[in-house]
Amino acid sequence: MILHVVNQAPDAGRTLEQVLSAMADDDCLLLIEDGVVGAMPTLAALFTALEGRRYVLREDLESRGLLGRQPEGFAIVDIDGFVNLTEEAAKTVSWY
Amino acid sequence: MPYLEEQNGCSTKGDILLVLRHAPHGSSWLREGLDIALVGAAFDRDVSLLFMGEGVLALLSGQQAGALGQKGTHPTLQMLEMYDIDALFVEQRAMERYGLVQEDLILAPQGLEEAGMADLIKHHDLVLTF
Amino acid sequence: MASTEIYRYLVLNNGQSIPVDPEGYLVDRTHWSLDVARILAKEASIQLDEEHWAVIEVVRDFYRQYEMAPAMRPLVKAVGKQLGAEKGRSIHLMRLFPGSPAKVVARIAGLPKPANCL
Repeated sequence: MILHVVNQAPDAGRTLEQVLSAMADDDCLLLIEDGVVGAMPTLAALFTALEGRRYVLREDLESRGLLGRQPEGFAIVDIDGFVNLTEEAAKTVSWY
Repeated sequence: MPYLEEQNGCSTKGDILLVLRHAPHGSSWLREGLDIALVGAAFDRDVSLLFMGEGVLALLSGQQAGALGQKGTHPTLQMLEMYDIDALFVEQRAMERYGLVQEDLILAPQGLEEAGMADLIKHHDLVLTF
Repeated sequence: MASTEIYRYLVLNNGQSIPVDPEGYLVDRTHWSLDVARILAKEASIQLDEEHWAVIEVVRDFYRQYEMAPAMRPLVKAVGKQLGAEKGRSIHLMRLFPGSPAKVVARIAGLPKPANCL
């Protein structure tokens, strides 16, 4: 499993689209920083293919007042969870 | 350059994959990515390049220095073979997006669909995006 | 990388002063001439002969083509391509330009220090 970490909002450019196009079927996605905007309910359709493999960082949701607005299927992880994910992953690829 | 046969084609295995996602001239992203590629090759690492999104424009022929004489990145691309960096890939969808065909390019990268890109990432120890 | 800091001057026989940076590279590569090369070589205790000039020409060609001075790996390859396989070997270049051949030959050829030569 490769962990793909994205720190860009869906509207900021094509970063998110590019990550999604380069992910293997067992890879996971973690949204951090501005990337957490992607975990709003109205944008859930972007991630339907990633059921069970999508994560969003709690601290960055909290600072933006977005915590609690996540659609089902997004696992919310804190920094420790982030670290655990990177340990489980064969490698981490950052997209920014 | 070791190759690994895959069921869905030929996937290059390597030490470092640089994913280049920015066009020339507008920012220093592309140059920085290429610099890393050259450093990796100078240290005898197997380096592969994937041109993705706008990054495919780095391969366009007919590029020149900037209006104020700023160096372009095209001489560096032409120099890659001198560093034995010959594992070059391009996102096929981006080629189509910009209406480009192989004849428009200064190098001859292998086109990859989505599964091919995922495979490429999987088969490199270190993947850096620029 | 090319430096623009003037550290000292080389003085040619005709009295002309050529600025060089703290590492001995030309501040302005258009100041290069055969005389400048000889002085820079002498500073590195190298007496230039035909073999040296041939490599200097390869490196200057490389810069004209790629706008960068070659690190060791591409230097070996470029010399091998242009001067033949027996010349395109590290040992040959080490003998001609002892120490760090890529840096030494770039300096004598009036080019910036190779950027990815760590």
